[in-house]
Amino acid sequence: MAVNKWVERFFGTPLPDGVVMTSFLFPLLYLLVFLVIPVLVMLLTAFVYNGHVSLYWFKSIFGSPYYFNPLHPSGFLVQLIPYGNQQIYLFSGWDFGVVINSILVSISVMILTTILGVSFAFVMARYDFPGKNIVRILLFVPLLVTPFVNVVVVQKMFLPNGLINWIFYQHLHLLPHPIWIEGLVGVIVAQSMTYYPIVYLNAYASFINIDPSLEEQAENLGSRGFHLFRTVTFPLALPGIAAGAALVGIFSLEDLAAPIVFQGSAIAKKLMSFQIYSSFVSGFAIGNPQMAALALVMLTIALIIFLTIRWYVGMKQYAMLSKGGRWKPRVAKPRPLQAAIIYLLVIPTLLITIFPQIGVILLAFSKRWYGTWPEGFTLSHMGSLLTQPDILRVIENSLLYSTVAIFIILLLSLTASYAAGRFKKARLAPILDSLATIPIAVPGIVIAMSYFFFFSTVPPFKGTALDPTNLLAFFPGAALILAYSIRRLPFAARSISAGIQQVHVSLEEAAINLGAGRWKALTSILIPMILLNLLGGAMLSFVYCMSETSVGITLGSINSTWYPITAKMKELITSAVGSANLAAALGVFLMLVQILAIVLANVITKQRYSFIGLT
Amino acid sequence: MVLHEVIEMVEVKLQDIVKRFGETVALKGISLDIKHGELFTMLGPSGCGKSTTLRIIAGLEYPDGGKLYFGDQDVTYLPSHQKGAVLVFQNYALWPHMSVFDNVAYGLRLKKMSKDEIRKKVEWALELIKLKGFEDRYPTQLSGGQQQRVAIARALVVEPKVLLLDEPLSNLDAKLRLEMRSEIRRIQRELGITVIYVTHDQEEAMAISDRIAVMNVGTVEQVGTPKEIYESPRTEFVASFMGKTNVIPAKVVERDGDHVTVEFESFRLDGLHYTGKSDNVVVVVRPERIRLKPTENAVSLTGTVDLIEYYGFFVEVIGLFGEVRMIARTISDREVGSLKPMQPVTFYINRGDIIVLPKEQL
Repeated sequence: MAVNKWVERFFGTPLPDGVVMTSFLFPLLYLLVFLVIPVLVMLLTAFVYNGHVSLYWFKSIFGSPYYFNPLHPSGFLVQLIPYGNQQIYLFSGWDFGVVINSILVSISVMILTTILGVSFAFVMARYDFPGKNIVRILLFVPLLVTPFVNVVVVQKMFLPNGLINWIFYQHLHLLPHPIWIEGLVGVIVAQSMTYYPIVYLNAYASFINIDPSLEEQAENLGSRGFHLFRTVTFPLALPGIAAGAALVGIFSLEDLAAPIVFQGSAIAKKLMSFQIYSSFVSGFAIGNPQMAALALVMLTIALIIFLTIRWYVGMKQYAMLSKGGRWKPRVAKPRPLQAAIIYLLVIPTLLITIFPQIGVILLAFSKRWYGTWPEGFTLSHMGSLLTQPDILRVIENSLLYSTVAIFIILLLSLTASYAAGRFKKARLAPILDSLATIPIAVPGIVIAMSYFFFFSTVPPFKGTALDPTNLLAFFPGAALILAYSIRRLPFAARSISAGIQQVHVSLEEAAINLGAGRWKALTSILIPMILLNLLGGAMLSFVYCMSETSVGITLGSINSTWYPITAKMKELITSAVGSANLAAALGVFLMLVQILAIVLANVITKQRYSFIGLT
Repeated sequence: MVLHEVIEMVEVKLQDIVKRFGETVALKGISLDIKHGELFTMLGPSGCGKSTTLRIIAGLEYPDGGKLYFGDQDVTYLPSHQKGAVLVFQNYALWPHMSVFDNVAYGLRLKKMSKDEIRKKVEWALELIKLKGFEDRYPTQLSGGQQQRVAIARALVVEPKVLLLDEPLSNLDAKLRLEMRSEIRRIQRELGITVIYVTHDQEEAMAISDRIAVMNVGTVEQVGTPKEIYESPRTEFVASFMGKTNVIPAKVVERDGDHVTVEFESFRLDGLHYTGKSDNVVVVVRPERIRLKPTENAVSLTGTVDLIEYYGFFVEVIGLFGEVRMIARTISDREVGSLKPMQPVTFYINRGDIIVLPKEQL
């Protein structure tokens, strides 16, 4: 047998090897069939008008002030309006048309989350102050994902009689008039409070990973205080912070929970994600090529953010330039002014940002919530989790879908990480690597819409249980499992490929050299060594699948027997008054699942795992 | 049990092995004959291709050209797990999730041996490397030297056709390095096995090897016993790589059969042996061959003392001869006497100790 140049070029092994080839081909084909082709099929319709290739649908978007109105925005950012017998500041937001609104919301959320995340991270990474351990636990709270209901609480906080006015207007008298936040500003505030932990975690890790000698050298040369932060610390942490902010930008773009909750004010509907979603649920607009074109615009923006940050972070890999070895991070006692900032500004802000999660719990245990605080303690909503058949049903459904999905995710991420991480010279390796991470940049609503087009038109799926137009036989669970496995793949793959990178390749080579085949080396050496990463990845994916929103409330809400939890939650908060409490009870259930998973992951793996709050 | 009674150790033959990594040619046609039962060292600076050659022998890489034979069998493209050329990795590659026993038994279990047999063989191997009683420890509970021994035991226990050692001492401290060096030599002698050893440390190579191949940028410069390599280097690279030495660029100005007169700065050295074609040469003299007192059949060079370095059991006198610096090494303090920097000094070198080699083109 001789070296096969083709095999070597594509798979990185000179001799054909079944295990390696399968590791490349299985994830590649899976991603091709269930991500690339469906998205392409949908997008192609955006380029067809009256049977011809045309840019008609794009022109119809950018030519219409409803979608694109950069010069003459309507609406207002803030206005003093009469409210009852007083005046209030109403925050709503300018309307530049759907496309620009989405971009502006996304940028605003990136800026706000960066300010919040970096401040909290810097304080936690660099200062040692009384109460730090309590703050550490509090910072864990906003990581808990409670789709829709946390936004419901945010909305209540910023009502004229909400918590914010109760504190800052009624008691502290810091505001001249009460405020009321709704519309696009409401969406921005809600998303910022939901997503800032992503920036926080990235920034914290970056600050902790800076070699202290770099800062010490700067101090040694005479730099201190804010100058030190501006010239050394922040630039070194910037790649990590930027990566977090970019992720937030993408999540903001595709978020549906905030626009759905705030849809009472019409301007909150004027976002790309909501437009595509509403065409989906209104039924007769499904298959509208204009929505496919809008989806392409959204996907393009997300991909630009994603690719820019990959390029930028790849270029600035100096954060890890320092020689290895453990070091004691620089932690100092704050000086009086710094202590004042920590206790009077940073911690109160933190308390406000964790209130949505606390509010969800309050909502779940209360009878009604009209004013500042909920009223009437009750266990009936939590009790419904165990007794109400439709609620039990959705919990069962979600558990089933998520469990099946994590097995697929583990298989995909194990093969993909092994192939792309161990056979880097293979031509297929960078392709596989990119394909396995790109789902981060593909909005869930785009996947939902793509699946609709793909499964209902392309054989062999047309007419099967995956075909949503095949009303009698359609099984949403199958489509959801496929969507979960694609959408959550990057997160598990990251955990697993980090594990594989920590196992030196010589450990497998030693086994092969001693007579083991590739399969035996994989099962006896590599897999046992990365078992903890596999478990961590499994927990992570499970939690993310349970709280998946975009596909759950679209493809998943076609048949109520097969609703996942999030579809039920969305139905509850948009229907009759009072059912938000039941949705909150489901939110509490999701929180419990997440806490359980995190505790398990930490106990079993003895490593710090945390989740990055996404829906 | 003596290993070579059980298994057949083979001769290893490399024939014009070529290996490319993308555009760079890592091995430019390596040919080597490694004899049965020999400790053969591949020596060279990092990037010379020695480890790549070793990995090709182990079957962890495949060459782009050339052949590899074990005995008469062409094993060029035999996969690693069928090859029987077992590598001890530089980082030992012990599996942290397995005990010492399980690490050593790994290869035996793959051969589907009975539990009894496995236990016996592991016991034998651990005894050989003096780690009996460590069966239940985990690699992280062992010192660097002990980990190294386990790695060797794991390789030996499967009765390899040839044992490959990749910089086995580089992760150990200085004292342990000497100890393990003689330990490896002892085991090799005791078992009579063929060992191919890779190192960048010329002293280590000289101390341990039966024969050495000096490698440089993907080629073999010279193969020979340590003595041959040290005393009769065939190229400028080999001369300069094997320990501290004086390498002085010079020109041939007169030829008389095999003998030449060479010139550098204002110095002329006559009656030196040289058969090369090029007139651009280097004069190679080992520092310890330079005397500070007149001897028979010696050429003499007078210059000034630049530095005197005291090393304890020897002293080095660095002389400046025009622009050329030469090092003389002596173990006799008396020879150095009252020499001081800036003073004149005369180096005496026996003509037989001067090697003239063609200058290498850069």
